[in-house]
Amino acid sequence: MSESDDQSEGQSPQPADAPEPAGPAKPPEAVESSPAEPAEPAAVAEPAAVARRRRRRWRSRRTLYVVGAIVIVVVVALVTTFVVNRNSANAADSPVSGGTLTYGVDGTLVSLDPAVTATSVSGLIDRSIFDSLVVQTGADSFGPWLASSWTISPDGRSYTFKLRPGVTFTDGTPLTASAVKASLDHVVAPATKSAYASSLIAPYQSSTVVDDLTVQVTLKQAFSPLLQALSTPFLGIQSPTELAKPVDQYQPVGTGAFALKSWVKNKAITLARNDKYNSAPANASHQGPAYLRSLVFDFVSEDATRYGALTSGQAQGIADVPPVDAKTLRTLSGYTLNSQKTPGLNYLLFFNTSRGPLSDVNVRRALSASINVPQLVNNIYFGQFVPANSVLGPTTADFDATASSALASYNVDEANKLLDQAGWTGRNAAGYRTKNGQELDLVWPYWAAGNKEQRDVLAQGVQAQAKQVGINIQRPTVDTGSYVSQDLVGGGYDIVDTSFTRPTPDVLRFAFESKNTYANGGGNVVLINSPQVDALVDGAAAATDPKVAASDYATIQRQALAEAWVLPVYTPVVLSGFSNSVHGITFDPQTYPVFYGTWLGNAK
Amino acid sequence: MIRWLSRRLALTLFVVWGAATLAFVGMHLVPGDPARMIAGGVSAVATPQVLDTIRAQYGLNEPIVVQYLIYLGHLASGDFGDSYQLNEPVIGVITGSLGATVALAVGAAVLGFALAIILALATAGRPHARAVSRVAELTAISMPNFWIGILLLAVFSFQLRWFPVLGGQGIQALVLPWITLALPITGVLSLVCRDGLERALEQPFAVTTRARGSGELRLLLRHALRHAILPVLTLSTWSLGELLGGVVVVETVFARQGIGEVLVTAVGGRDFPVVTGVVVLSALTFSLINIGVDVAYRAIDPRLRQDQAVTV
Repeated sequence: MSESDDQSEGQSPQPADAPEPAGPAKPPEAVESSPAEPAEPAAVAEPAAVARRRRRRWRSRRTLYVVGAIVIVVVVALVTTFVVNRNSANAADSPVSGGTLTYGVDGTLVSLDPAVTATSVSGLIDRSIFDSLVVQTGADSFGPWLASSWTISPDGRSYTFKLRPGVTFTDGTPLTASAVKASLDHVVAPATKSAYASSLIAPYQSSTVVDDLTVQVTLKQAFSPLLQALSTPFLGIQSPTELAKPVDQYQPVGTGAFALKSWVKNKAITLARNDKYNSAPANASHQGPAYLRSLVFDFVSEDATRYGALTSGQAQGIADVPPVDAKTLRTLSGYTLNSQKTPGLNYLLFFNTSRGPLSDVNVRRALSASINVPQLVNNIYFGQFVPANSVLGPTTADFDATASSALASYNVDEANKLLDQAGWTGRNAAGYRTKNGQELDLVWPYWAAGNKEQRDVLAQGVQAQAKQVGINIQRPTVDTGSYVSQDLVGGGYDIVDTSFTRPTPDVLRFAFESKNTYANGGGNVVLINSPQVDALVDGAAAATDPKVAASDYATIQRQALAEAWVLPVYTPVVLSGFSNSVHGITFDPQTYPVFYGTWLGNAK
Repeated sequence: MIRWLSRRLALTLFVVWGAATLAFVGMHLVPGDPARMIAGGVSAVATPQVLDTIRAQYGLNEPIVVQYLIYLGHLASGDFGDSYQLNEPVIGVITGSLGATVALAVGAAVLGFALAIILALATAGRPHARAVSRVAELTAISMPNFWIGILLLAVFSFQLRWFPVLGGQGIQALVLPWITLALPITGVLSLVCRDGLERALEQPFAVTTRARGSGELRLLLRHALRHAILPVLTLSTWSLGELLGGVVVVETVFARQGIGEVLVTAVGGRDFPVVTGVVVLSALTFSLINIGVDVAYRAIDPRLRQDQAVTV
């Protein structure tokens, strides 16, 4: 963008030079006047000679004026070009302080207490209010934030954090070890009714204040994903003064670059810059206060309205660009579409291994082989989403690309062969396979309220392709309550589908450990119950050697595909759109936009 | 009159009790565990311990009859309880967004009513204007609120940029939502009002008035409108229901704060106290406005006043 600016400015001297052909016009004038000069001695024609001299003087003065004017125009043009160029170079490179950025988000939120809430909207807003102890700087690397350094005991059960000195919360409370302890204790306290944060630090036992700026966190068992958990906004450090107040007087107060200014319920949240901010994370582009003076999050749940707000300039950015509009926005001048691949579990079909035909690994592999996933994904999303062939998203730490060789990929002959081997040899009138008179029926509940990204259309494709090999997939529509109680808790399904964003391979423990069933607050919906798998995921979480953890996670990724617990479909992407007047937007590993280094330049 | 009013008020109490009971039954008939919904819905990872804490705190462990009686007791003393999700008294949640919704609904009702009367007066008895107007009215009635709202937004907010949908203040932010809500109401009311006007103009009294030498406009305004307005008033109470439904849609499309948004969030999150609060409040408003309309009938139609005088 800045390049094209430079080019257009570079062209401006040319029109300024254009009057210069007036210069060459000067010699003919001089030639014209010189033959008149010999006539000057004629005494009789004195008045004529005076007039002629006057005229000549005027002519030469006019020439002078013209030349002078040209010089002035050229100089002015050169100077302005230079200044403007320098300014536009400034506009592209160095941030401007001030201004308000309006960001339209999908949906609303009921609590800003990061320990309580589980929605991505609150995570997004809390990220600007709360700092974390550490910052995630890569797939599996962490840098200092509120903690300037930390040590881990050899048994992996105790983490000692040295806090950054001189940091205060926006209510004036100083950041001390006891503030960190109060924050973490608040997360796990049953009265908090934490929907998500407490599950991130399930092995948390206690915090001890060693001295004013040193806090020791003790775990029930070794747990290497702790740092990643602590880096999320959900475990942001809160002011102990606020946490001590009764619940109905709670205000979200952190040490972050912005502080809550106003909250119009179901309409908008406005954050104001924290002018005393001095605790930017290690990987930040700058230190000190943020550039934006204020940050407005507008809740616009209607897709068409949110998209229109961006393209009409009412918002400078929007979250969740509707996939149907993504293609248009990508080519719309003046706007940028950001597409972030989410880490964690891909969008997967989870096969219930504990009941019915899918308890047989051959049937699961046959189902997997009967679906042409790349074709379906490409036909439905036109390249917006990329077909997946692995459990984890490629941006997750310890993602193993070689695991995909274990996947039973599309092969109809293979699918038919496997189903024959499994004993589903009969065919009924409808063309479905049977075994002992029983039709090969699978139940995939359709939870309409949770449908997004045209997953219902994709499911129709899956149904049609499964039918080709004689598998009957039924999709009864269920409401939210039944989906939870009968299906997810009650286990009354053969297939369910979801994705789960979390930038750590520990998400594999969430998905496959035997005790992490949905009823227990986990994500093991394939209902795998294997001591060997438990040992691997627990071992990886407790491993102090990253190599051991990586090899354990690789084994699980391979096994999940080899035994067809899941069928990978696509890696979800988070689409956000920004006006080109917004500079310095970055995204954290959880795909939340970070507004700390953001500033507003001139549009386009 | 006093007796009539007190009987109507007693009836109102009955209606409110009925609505509260229906809301209670409805919320308990919806399948699923309310504790899990309170904990944050399907995507929340709530441990059984957290769910138990929630059940104990909100009395969800009690038998259903006990829960109902406790609920009625609180309601009778004017206590709607605290929102499950917001940790705030329900009264505060509702009053906090009531202003925005009242401004939206009242403005739309007045606009719809006024447009309907003007349209009916302008087209009554004129076959060509009538035909054009009927097409427009039927179109307005058959278009869903959602669609009207999106169209208005696309043209007047996103293209012409006259009315911002985000960050708009006061009247500027209300114009498009008002029109969206008012159009279907205008459609119905103006159809009815014009029919009434035309029927009145065929009555013998119209001939008498004309014979007295009064102009057409005077005839319409002073004589015919008075007859035509009665069915319009009756339908105005119907339009209140239309408004309550429309508010939910309009607040979503225009990203506005209000009772509709509160209700949608509360139903989705099984926030029982907020849902019942909104339901009871709506029932109360509906009943009171009906009483108000009945009083207005008496003011407009002297015959009703006389009838009442005989029976009282």
